[in-house]
Amino acid sequence: MCRIAGIISASSEAFDRSEKVKQMCQVLKHGGPDDEGIFDDTGARLTFGHRRLSIIDLSYNGHQPMADAQQRVWITFNGEIYNYPELKAQLISLGAKFISSTDTEVIISAYIHWGMAAFAKLRGIFAFALYDKEKALTYLVRDSSGIKPLYYCAKEGQLSFASEVKALKAAGLANEADPDWQIRFLAYGHIPEPYTTLKNVYSLPKGEFLCWNHKKSTYDIHSYHVIFNKSAIDDIIQAKEAIKENLAFAVRRQLIADAPIGVFLSGGIDSSLLTLLAEQEKKTQLKTISIYFNEKAYDESMYQNLVLKQIEGEKFSHLVKQSDFEGFFPQIIEDMDLPTTDGINTWCISKFAHDDGLKAVLSGLGADELFGGYPSFNRIRYIKTARKYPASFFKLANHSGFDAYRKIAFLTYNHPIADYLFLRGLYSPADIAEILDTDITHVEDVLFANRKLPYVRNYDEQDAAWFELNLYMQNQLLRDTDVMGMSHGLEVRVPFLDEDFIRTAESINPTIRFDKSRPKKILIDSFDDVLPEPIWNRTKMGFTFPLQDWMKKNQEITDESLYNRNKSKSIIKSFKNDSVHWSKAFALFQIQMHA
Amino acid sequence: MTRTLAHSLYHISKKENWNFRLFSLYDTRYDLMSQYLPPENYTGFNNSRLSLGFRSIKEASHSDIVILNHINFALIGIVIKLFNPKCPVWLIAHGIEVWRPLSFIKRTFLNRYCDKIICVSNFTKHQMIARHRSDPDKCVVLNNAVDPFIKLPEAFDKPEYLLNRYGLGPSNQVIFTLTRLASSEQYKGHEQVIKAVASLKQEFANIKYILSGQYDSVEEIRIRSLIDKYDVRDEVILTGFLNENELTDHFLLADLFVLPSKKEGFGIVFVEALACGLPVICGNADGSTDAIKDGKLGTAINVDDLSELQNTIVRYLNTPLTLDKRKNLQKECLQYFDEKYYQEHLLKLLNNEQAA
Repeated sequence: MCRIAGIISASSEAFDRSEKVKQMCQVLKHGGPDDEGIFDDTGARLTFGHRRLSIIDLSYNGHQPMADAQQRVWITFNGEIYNYPELKAQLISLGAKFISSTDTEVIISAYIHWGMAAFAKLRGIFAFALYDKEKALTYLVRDSSGIKPLYYCAKEGQLSFASEVKALKAAGLANEADPDWQIRFLAYGHIPEPYTTLKNVYSLPKGEFLCWNHKKSTYDIHSYHVIFNKSAIDDIIQAKEAIKENLAFAVRRQLIADAPIGVFLSGGIDSSLLTLLAEQEKKTQLKTISIYFNEKAYDESMYQNLVLKQIEGEKFSHLVKQSDFEGFFPQIIEDMDLPTTDGINTWCISKFAHDDGLKAVLSGLGADELFGGYPSFNRIRYIKTARKYPASFFKLANHSGFDAYRKIAFLTYNHPIADYLFLRGLYSPADIAEILDTDITHVEDVLFANRKLPYVRNYDEQDAAWFELNLYMQNQLLRDTDVMGMSHGLEVRVPFLDEDFIRTAESINPTIRFDKSRPKKILIDSFDDVLPEPIWNRTKMGFTFPLQDWMKKNQEITDESLYNRNKSKSIIKSFKNDSVHWSKAFALFQIQMHA
Repeated sequence: MTRTLAHSLYHISKKENWNFRLFSLYDTRYDLMSQYLPPENYTGFNNSRLSLGFRSIKEASHSDIVILNHINFALIGIVIKLFNPKCPVWLIAHGIEVWRPLSFIKRTFLNRYCDKIICVSNFTKHQMIARHRSDPDKCVVLNNAVDPFIKLPEAFDKPEYLLNRYGLGPSNQVIFTLTRLASSEQYKGHEQVIKAVASLKQEFANIKYILSGQYDSVEEIRIRSLIDKYDVRDEVILTGFLNENELTDHFLLADLFVLPSKKEGFGIVFVEALACGLPVICGNADGSTDAIKDGKLGTAINVDDLSELQNTIVRYLNTPLTLDKRKNLQKECLQYFDEKYYQEHLLKLLNNEQAA
């Protein structure tokens, strides 16, 4: 829930700070339509802002920024703490007193009792700023799975932060564009963390906190992750039990809400499973949101109906047509905050969920990454084989007439980011250089220099999972999901990414977890009594829109005269005769819009 | 250590108005950390041996000195000498790569073409002389130095965020090992430390052992089974890869650094720990003894003698260092291993070569 913003600046005036924070809140209003709050500490030269989307304790007790009774600790918080009832009970036994039913108050109390150690005790989706008046420290903290966003800009003794990049820009806190964002965007199809389109504006890494020292106007960033000695699960029966128990638990605790909650149902394994598990927990209140198309190749309604038959709650099903896409398109572009080639699907379904009266939904995101549901889990082996050949051999791919083969050129580079981009990238460095009319060595430097990854290159399923979870899902899927959901004041919850469930999945022996006989086999087997066979015994579809057709019919995207370089014009031409994927054309369109 | 060497050579060259170029076989342009060396002084060859060979020979034809940072470049060294016999060629001898029988080409290079062997420790020098009959006059010891960009602490308190991360309190006594944990390198001695911790946990109820460093999956399974076997699940914290910017804080968190390895050429990690005021225990049968200045800065033990390791750990844990003593240890370490002394020594060697 919510959107947050704030400024700490030793040299600022209260009025100026307040105005800027209000400006940021105004820009973030869509994600927090229910309330606004501003807190200013003139002495500390700090202002926090908050836009509220109320889901837990809908009363004014949930107003933020919030403080403890002694006003020693102030917080502006975006998200949900799913284990707040348990933490609250523990804190009460330690003598804590509470005046509201909010999870926000639990974070404050947890910090007062446990200090920084409180951060690792939180289970949920969150990003918050917490100001400790006594210690003259402010913490920016982000959840361990990176579900809620937090962008910051720290320069010249000033720290500013916001849930969306455009808020910082609107308040004039960061104006200069990052000169290299287009290179990253064309290579990845999104802007990879920690970068943004603005210079000096970064995304706070997941599971980390930034500690701002008010006295020195300096900061450190560290992980708050707690290290456990995990016990490996080597037995299939034990693995199935652990998955069953922990996923059901994650769904149960993520259904906590005082406002209407539903499930996104696409018809695939993951969303069907969540829907059926949520139904077991919540019966009549559960609402489902589905989308279907006239285009038969994309229509999943048959599979959706199989699940819907077993559900008692309200079922909302929406037809999305080319004409809807045309109508929505300008607003989608407006809402995306950072350029991206995905998220259109989430924007549409979030809009429908909001229009159907929902404030929070569950989504099946994360299961493919944890249990090997993507083709990259097989393709990663090709990289290992490719490494046996001279790197320069793969440069030939730059001359391929088949567009899809051109990114084989990434194998020229002996770098983990190049490995990832071979699996998931959009344009090859040579194409990017041509599109942007720049030197290829500059493109290579931007993509690969100073990018160290804590990752072992065995080219196995664990490596693929690392890439998918930490790069593709983090930078593309989660960011798009949050920003597109919040553009409709809708919170998207992701039970597969519950911290404890991830830990369970990662402790399963890789041979069981990534059984080669079928993608996500262990997940399917764990719930064979719940999932109807036709749902899992089919070709994977994904939550996909007929965007190749729709974008081809879009006059703006396909208008060659809009593009000012020949390379872009020729790509758009190829897109029109279907030899280029829509995501590439869409990327060029966005580059052109920012030109 | 190549980073510190590159940084030192770059600064010496700048001061003396010399030209300096660094060629790296395995790295690429993107691996360069420009705080050590500007890009114009560096070329990465992305594992292309042939290009590195040709470029080195070409560059050496007009160089005044060539330093090879690994014995594997012996062939290049020979060809350089054949084309430009007047150009002195030096070799840096680190550790295990030269403490073993060498191929004909490597031996030929060492005995006929190499003008100076820079040994990172006295142990390596003795190995060169004993194993390869290197001319003692050609062998010079130049101990490694503390990385110029390591964040040296001024205060020595345990970082709160790490106490939280590992669930530690002020009463915990922390032993720390940082090393690469590869299944193919079974000489680092962390297994011995795990055994020692198992025996000491009765006597020291608050003992914790933080074992850090990137591991492969085979080694992870092995270590976890050792942890189970010796029943030290509550005592051992396996962190995996450590982010470089948290290195100093881990040295501050610990009360004792232990790496009873058998095959350290020098053991740069020991001087980094000492530079953060952390006492160290190392092995007595490799280059580590230079890093502790033969006992002045730390304690060397027989790594096969578990009771000696245990007794030494007990001795340190029973007499914990005060903050003042930690500061002194840092000062003492830097008296020997600050990069400025390394640069001075290196410059002297280079000047002597030119004068010769």
